[in-house]
Amino acid sequence: MSQDSSFDLVICGVGGQGIVLLSNIIGRGCAKADLEARTGELHGLSQRSGTIYIHMRIGKDNLSPLIPYGEADALISLEAVEALRYLEYLKDDGVIILNKRVINPPIEVAQLSKEKRTDFIKFDEIKEKLNVITQNIAPLPALDLAKEAGNPLTENVVFIGALSALKSFPLDAEVLKESVAESVPKKALDVNLKAFDLGYKAAYDSLCQTVECVERKID
Amino acid sequence: MAKEYLVNKDPKKAFMMSNEAMVRGALEADVKVISCYPGAPTSEILDTFFLLRNEFDYKFTTATNEKVALETVAGASMSGFRALTSMKSVGLNVASDAFFSLAYTGINAGCVMIVADDPHCHSSQSEEDGRFFGPNAYIPMLEPSNPKEARKMVKTAFEISERHKSIVVIRTTTRVNHQSGIVETEALNRTPFVKAKWSEVGENYFTVGETARQNKFKLLEKVKNIQIEFEDSPFNVISEGEGDIGILTSGVGYCYAKDACKILKINPKILKIGTPFPLPEKKIADFMKGLSKVVVIEELSPYLEHNAKRIAKDFELDVTILGKDAGHFSEAMEYNVPIVVMGISSALGIKSPIDYDGILKRANDLKTILPERMPCFCAGCPHRATFWAIKQAVRGRNVVFNNDIGCYSMAFFPPLNMTMSLLCMGSSLGLSAGMSQVLEDDVMCVVGDSTFFHAALPGLVNSVYHNLNITLFVLDNEVTAMTGQQFHAGTPEDRGMPEGKKRIIIEDVCRGIGVGHVAIMDSYDVKNNVDIIKEALDFKGPSVVISRRSCALHGDRIKRRTGVPIVQNEVDKSICKKPHTCIKDFYCPSFRFDSDDRAARILPEICDGCGVCAKICPFGTIHPIGEEAPGREVKQ
Repeated sequence: MSQDSSFDLVICGVGGQGIVLLSNIIGRGCAKADLEARTGELHGLSQRSGTIYIHMRIGKDNLSPLIPYGEADALISLEAVEALRYLEYLKDDGVIILNKRVINPPIEVAQLSKEKRTDFIKFDEIKEKLNVITQNIAPLPALDLAKEAGNPLTENVVFIGALSALKSFPLDAEVLKESVAESVPKKALDVNLKAFDLGYKAAYDSLCQTVECVERKID
Repeated sequence: MAKEYLVNKDPKKAFMMSNEAMVRGALEADVKVISCYPGAPTSEILDTFFLLRNEFDYKFTTATNEKVALETVAGASMSGFRALTSMKSVGLNVASDAFFSLAYTGINAGCVMIVADDPHCHSSQSEEDGRFFGPNAYIPMLEPSNPKEARKMVKTAFEISERHKSIVVIRTTTRVNHQSGIVETEALNRTPFVKAKWSEVGENYFTVGETARQNKFKLLEKVKNIQIEFEDSPFNVISEGEGDIGILTSGVGYCYAKDACKILKINPKILKIGTPFPLPEKKIADFMKGLSKVVVIEELSPYLEHNAKRIAKDFELDVTILGKDAGHFSEAMEYNVPIVVMGISSALGIKSPIDYDGILKRANDLKTILPERMPCFCAGCPHRATFWAIKQAVRGRNVVFNNDIGCYSMAFFPPLNMTMSLLCMGSSLGLSAGMSQVLEDDVMCVVGDSTFFHAALPGLVNSVYHNLNITLFVLDNEVTAMTGQQFHAGTPEDRGMPEGKKRIIIEDVCRGIGVGHVAIMDSYDVKNNVDIIKEALDFKGPSVVISRRSCALHGDRIKRRTGVPIVQNEVDKSICKKPHTCIKDFYCPSFRFDSDDRAARILPEICDGCGVCAKICPFGTIHPIGEEAPGREVKQ
C-alpha cells in the first residue's frame, strides 16, 4: 500500500460499545503498515449511553483531526440511529457499515410513554434516510455475529473485519488481524478473529455487487 | 494504546493520543515527580502516569486540586527534580494563585504544566483562552498541533524550563489532547531516583514586598531572554507559498488551515506559531513583510490577531490583518475545516468551492426523525437513586437546589430538571451561603466526594461558622467518577490503590468541623432515604447527607476482578400494570417497553443489576433473573 492512499472514516455509536479500542486497533495497523493516521476523538462526557464518535483519517495529506462535511469515505455505525446523526460527514455514495441494532435513548422511551405512543424509531426508517446519500450500505447483525463468534463483546471487532472487505481501505486483513491479536487478551484471540471473519463475510456479501471488495478465503 | 509503546526503551513509531505522547515526552525527559487533578481533556495524562507507576520509579500523586498539584511539582522542582502537572483550563484558575507567584520566585529543575483549553465547552463551563495567562503571569508557553509535536514540545519544555528557571506551560485544546496519530518516540534513558538534600540543591524562593519588586525586574529580563530564544525556536515554522497573502495560525488551527488551503486550491505562505508567549515578534514581522493581507486562524480570542496588528504597527508594515475583528471568524466555539474554508473565503472575497451549508441542510432535513441522545446517568448509577429520593423528599416544599461539577451535574437534564445554578468546583456551597441568608426556601446543594475535597471544604467551614441553614448532599461514589474513576482522598483503601495512602472519611471531617446534623445513607436504599433527607432539611443549621455507593462503572470493575456476578433484572409481564414509573421518572438506559403490549422491558446487555427500579415499581414486578417477582399491593 502506498503512503498516498488516503481514507477518511467516521466511527460512531453509543458510549460503552468499544469504539476507542476499535480506532486504536486500526491506528496500530497504520503504524505497522507505515501509514500516517490521525483521529479526532471525544472523551470525558461520554458516559455509557451517550452518543460517541471518532474521526479517523489515514494518509499523509489530510492534516486535521476532523473530517470536512461530505468527505468521509465510510461511516461505521455500531448503533443504527447514530449513523444518521453524523451523516453530513459522508460523501455521496460513501460506504456505511451499519449495525442493525437500535438502542433507544431513555429520553425517546420516556417521551413515547408519556404520549402513549409506541412508534419507536426503526432500523428501516433510518436506512431509508441514509439511502438518500448512498445505496452502499452493509447492514450487519453485529451483535448476533459477535455471539456466534463466541462473545457479544467482540461486536466492535466485527466492524473491523467488515472494513477489511473494502478494496479502498488502505490496510489489508493480515495487518488488521495482527493488530487485533496484539490488542485483545490472549485467551480471547480466537473468538475475536472469528468475529473479524464473520464481519468480513457479512460486509462482502452485502457490498460486493456495488462496491469493489477484497476476495478472501475464510477457513 | 498499549503500555508497550510508552515503556519501550528504543525509538519506535507508534499510534498514540497526544495525552499519551506528552507522557512519553516527559518520560524521555526523565521526569521524576508528577502530580495532577483529573479534568477533561487532560485526564488521560494522569491515567497514563498511574498505569505506568510500577514500571518506573517516579513519584506520582493525584492531588486534591490543581493548586496543590502545581505546588507539589514546584516544590519538587525547587528541590532539584524534574516535575510535571496537567490540568484543564478551569484548573489553572484554581492553581493561578500559586502560578503567578511562581513566575516571581522561579523554579530549579525543569517544571512543565500542561494546560488544556476546551473550545466548544465539550466538558467545561466556559470557553477560556488560557494563552492570556502567559503574558499576564510572564510564563512561557508552547502550543502543539498534533501528537508528534506534543511529545517533542513536552520534552523540549523541560530544557527551556531548566535553562531559564521558569515554569513552562504546554497550552493545548481538546482537539489536540484527544487527537491520536503516529508518533516517533525517542530513546528512553531513565536515571534512578535518589533523594537529594536541600543544602545541596535548595535556593531561596520568596516573594513579597521589596523582594517581589526586585523579582519583577528579573522576571522582565528573563522573559526578554526567552523571547530572543523563541525568535529561533524550531516550533515557529514558516512554510513558503505563492502570492502576497499569508496565514498566521497556531495549534489545531494550523491543521484546519492546511486542509482548507487544499480545498480552496490556494498556496499561501503560512506562519505556524508554536510559542504563543513570548511571541517571536521579529519573526512575525519578517513573515508579514511584503504581504498585503494576513488571515489569522486561531480558535477563541483574537490573541495572535491583536498581537499581529500591534507588531505590524510597530514595524510600520503596510499589511491588512483579517480575522475576528472584521467578522470573518468567530470567537465562539471550536473550528473545523468547513468553518475555516468559509472564513478564508470571506476574508479574501472568494467563493467557497463547496456548499457546506447545503450539505448540512440536506443532512439536517434527513435527521428530523432522529431522537436526542443526551448524556444520562449510567445503568446502576447511584446518583439516579439519590436524586429520586431527593425528588420525593422535597415534594410540597419550596427549595432551591444548587448543583456543582461532577456526574450529578446531569440532574439539570430531564427527568429531574432540578438545577437552579452551576458555576464551578465547590461553588454550590458559596452560592447557598448567599441564598440561605436572603431566601425563605430550603437551600440545598450537592457535591461529589472528589469535589468535596477539591473545593467544597472552605464553603462548608463557612456555613458552619455562620450557622447557615444549608443542606449539603455529598454523593460519595468512592472515585472521581466523571473523569474516568480516578482515586482520591476519600477512596476506600482496598480499591486497588497504591500502598501507603490514607483514606479520609467524609463524615469524620463534617463532624470534626462541627456540622450539627450528619446523616449517611446507602444510595440504593431509596425508600428509607426519603425520610433521612426530610430530617436533614428540617434541621436548623448546616446539615450534611452523605449518599454512599460505588460508581457503577467502578463497581462493575471491582465485581469483575473479585468474581462477584452481576445479576440482571427483568420485568414480570404477567403482573406489570404499565404505569411506566420505571420509564417516566427514572431514565435508566436499560429500560424500554414493548410496542405490542406496552409492558416495560429491561435490556439485559445494559442492566447493571442495581435493583433500584424494583424498589420504586409500585406493583413489585421487577426481580433478578432467576427469582420470582415479589408483587406488591399499591398503597392508596
